[in-house]
Amino acid sequence: MPVTLEVNGETHVLDVPATRRLLHVLREDLALTGAKLGCGEGACGACAVLLDGVPVVSCLLPVGAAEGRVVTTIEGLEDEAAVLRDAFVAEDALQCGFCTPGQMISASALLAATPAPGREEIRIALAGNLCRCGAYPKIERAILRASGQGAS
Amino acid sequence: MRPRFVKSQREMEGRFEDVWVLVDDDDDLETWPEDADLTIVGRPATRHDGPLRASGGARYTVDVALPGMLHARVLRAPVARCRVTSIDLDAARRIPGVRAVLGPEGPFTMHGDAPLTADPAWAGEPIAAVAADTPDAADAGLLALALELEERAPLLLDDGLTEQRFTEEPRDVVRGDPDAALASADVRVELTCETPAHVQSPLEPHAAVVRWDGDALTAWISTQGIFDARRELARRFGLVPERVRVISEYIGGGFGGKQGAGIEALLAAELARASGRPVRLVLSRHEDQVVGGRRARTRQTVTLGARRVGTLAGIELAAVVEMGDGGWIFPVAEPALSLYACDDVRAMTFPVRTSLRAQNAFRAPGMTEGVTVLEQAMDELAAALGIDPLDLRRLNHVERDQGSGLPYSSKRLLACYDRAAELASWTDRERLREPHADGLLRGMGCATQIWWGGGGPPAHATIRLDADGRALVTTGIQDIGTGTLTSARMVAAEELGLALDRVVARGGDTGPNVYAPVSGGSMTTPAVMPAVRSAAGKVRRILLSLAADVLEIAADDLTVRDGRIRSRDGALDVDIVEVTGKLGNATIDGTGTRGPNPDGFRVNTFGCQIATVAVDPGTGVVRVERVVAVHDVGRIVNPLAASSQLEGGVIQGLGYALTEDLVVDPTTGYPVNGHLDDYKLPTIADVPEIVCDFVDVPDANLPNLGSKGLGEPPIVPTAAAIANAFAHATGRRATALPLTPARVLETLA
Repeated sequence: MPVTLEVNGETHVLDVPATRRLLHVLREDLALTGAKLGCGEGACGACAVLLDGVPVVSCLLPVGAAEGRVVTTIEGLEDEAAVLRDAFVAEDALQCGFCTPGQMISASALLAATPAPGREEIRIALAGNLCRCGAYPKIERAILRASGQGAS
Repeated sequence: MRPRFVKSQREMEGRFEDVWVLVDDDDDLETWPEDADLTIVGRPATRHDGPLRASGGARYTVDVALPGMLHARVLRAPVARCRVTSIDLDAARRIPGVRAVLGPEGPFTMHGDAPLTADPAWAGEPIAAVAADTPDAADAGLLALALELEERAPLLLDDGLTEQRFTEEPRDVVRGDPDAALASADVRVELTCETPAHVQSPLEPHAAVVRWDGDALTAWISTQGIFDARRELARRFGLVPERVRVISEYIGGGFGGKQGAGIEALLAAELARASGRPVRLVLSRHEDQVVGGRRARTRQTVTLGARRVGTLAGIELAAVVEMGDGGWIFPVAEPALSLYACDDVRAMTFPVRTSLRAQNAFRAPGMTEGVTVLEQAMDELAAALGIDPLDLRRLNHVERDQGSGLPYSSKRLLACYDRAAELASWTDRERLREPHADGLLRGMGCATQIWWGGGGPPAHATIRLDADGRALVTTGIQDIGTGTLTSARMVAAEELGLALDRVVARGGDTGPNVYAPVSGGSMTTPAVMPAVRSAAGKVRRILLSLAADVLEIAADDLTVRDGRIRSRDGALDVDIVEVTGKLGNATIDGTGTRGPNPDGFRVNTFGCQIATVAVDPGTGVVRVERVVAVHDVGRIVNPLAASSQLEGGVIQGLGYALTEDLVVDPTTGYPVNGHLDDYKLPTIADVPEIVCDFVDVPDANLPNLGSKGLGEPPIVPTAAAIANAFAHATGRRATALPLTPARVLETLA
């Protein structure tokens, strides 16, 4: 049975098993490679996408569970996240950049819910997104900057 | 060009070799002095590819998808040592969608030792590989192989020394008479500490995508060394290097663990050849954690002897290193031999073979392990002598490399101590130990950093300036996340007198055949950037010569800066396009070659870090509250990216100190925590305030920027500083790292 999926405002009818992981469908079937497979076990957050505006690890989510809901990937975030992206660049909040799409997804969800988050709120909201390069201090500053709180 | 060959020395992670070096005297630019009037170098610049990386548009190796591409999977030893008794390759070949199967016997076309075996000697060693239309079909192929094996007892670290089971002869480096010096010392301390097995854990796993076009091979590899990968693939498959193109445009982290082609590219190339289709091979996270590499576990005993005044009389180190299946012995002994002034030293290294993959490079390999223990012993000595720990380090400062007897090209470690002490309020540290309302025990500890990082030849760069007055820098350097191509743009723009946005830089592709070294050994900036500046210098000289023709004035009377050509008397002031515009379709090209470092010096980097920790004596949780990191790496090219490197190194060092350790099951020899939910990396919530500073004085003895490397130095002293802060806070010293809650509670009991 085909799966109907709404991604970044477009509706796709896909002939894939409903148990296939959402990340796999995004990357391999829809060629949306911004979300990354860092672990495939829900432990790193590199695959984060928004499901009805809430960050989820798409490597664990069966695509069938995303039917009837709105999926937003980093590629679909582009316009609304321009301020956030610019802040990440200005603060150098990325090094290798592999985790960055996931960081951006979590940060954008945080800012949507909490327009002026404090440091603790940032640390809680982003704690599921690993960054092995250790850009964390600057990620925190970038989110503060994007929320108009300046770099502390 | 005035090319000639000279004999010089090349250094990589502390190993020196004599090499012939191509030198072009035209490349020899005077090192920018400390007070040089620079407009771009030394000022923060954002990385040009930041927006692409932040919007998910950067294409990493794992994102490369080619028409008709197959997906490969590898069957690996599920226990550390075993013998394959049965494997059904034909059954795998019968699985729908499976296009190629390789077993321990191949069939291989590559030369040299095959990367598959029926007699695995280490956990996760590859046995077979399958390529199929889909990852699911490849997995089905692996299952169909129906592997049967006979288990053998794993080789473990514990009995390695008693069994004398070494990967090579143990090393015993002796200087002076350490036995006599230690025997007659006024004060002696001995410290034994185990350091953990530390996994690089790049978030992009090892990966390769390989395509054959006739007898030409194109390989996208997540590697820190595209030219090493090209050489390896050419040699293995009997090709001239020109027929192999390696591309690594975006790399999702390496930290030392992604060298050369890797088994993944060799297997992908063989599977692609067998199937006639492009092949993608991406390691799973579990594979990457188990076989991607690690910093070796060590067990070190350090004995220090000192005179009452605090100067070191003798040092003895015995370091047992868990090598796994082999590899280089990294310089665990080096800190004992070079960190402090001491005439009488013995440093023994015992490289024990165990049933893990060969340990490999992880950011400052060896030095980090050595400093982590030696610097704890220094604090024990400070306590025994009743001397302030920083003062003890100042007392034992040394101005030359004691192994070679050569002076350092520059060493501003004392300035690092002073600045770090100031930033950390070191003199107030005893106040931290007063009772706190939150019930936590607080303390502050320091540690010293040493590493190499002088870079050297060979490295090349070409620069092409076009009619629009825009410059393209081409280098063979891959950007593993350090922002190195942004640095290349900055150096080129500075020398060319162009605005930064008129310079682009390209790397990560062997196609143009402009060689750059591996992204390792902290050599990228000091090796590549001088070549970039030399290339830019040639383009600038040609530009001014052409300007002289157009403007009818002597070239020596012209300068170029901020994209404008001016006469020294101020009479002429034109945009460079006034000159370049006349090029039409021609371009101004320059090639730069990195010359050798001067003879008669050792080039090293130095630094000091000071950590503040809070220990919960009830739960055993250690929180690092603050780290001050001050390093001397010569001139800083891009302060923004440099502080990122520094913070990143500190955070990896924090993981090494507190949570990270690849633990082996003694019954199978297989790691029990080869996943990211049980091998605990630092998260944003674990990160302390990190205060960074640099001495930022160019090394006048280095060509032609005076910059040293920065990738590795910041991880070197972090764990030692944290362990010393823990000891300061609690009055106890753990016998092993990481300082997990269980270990802390044991230590405090």
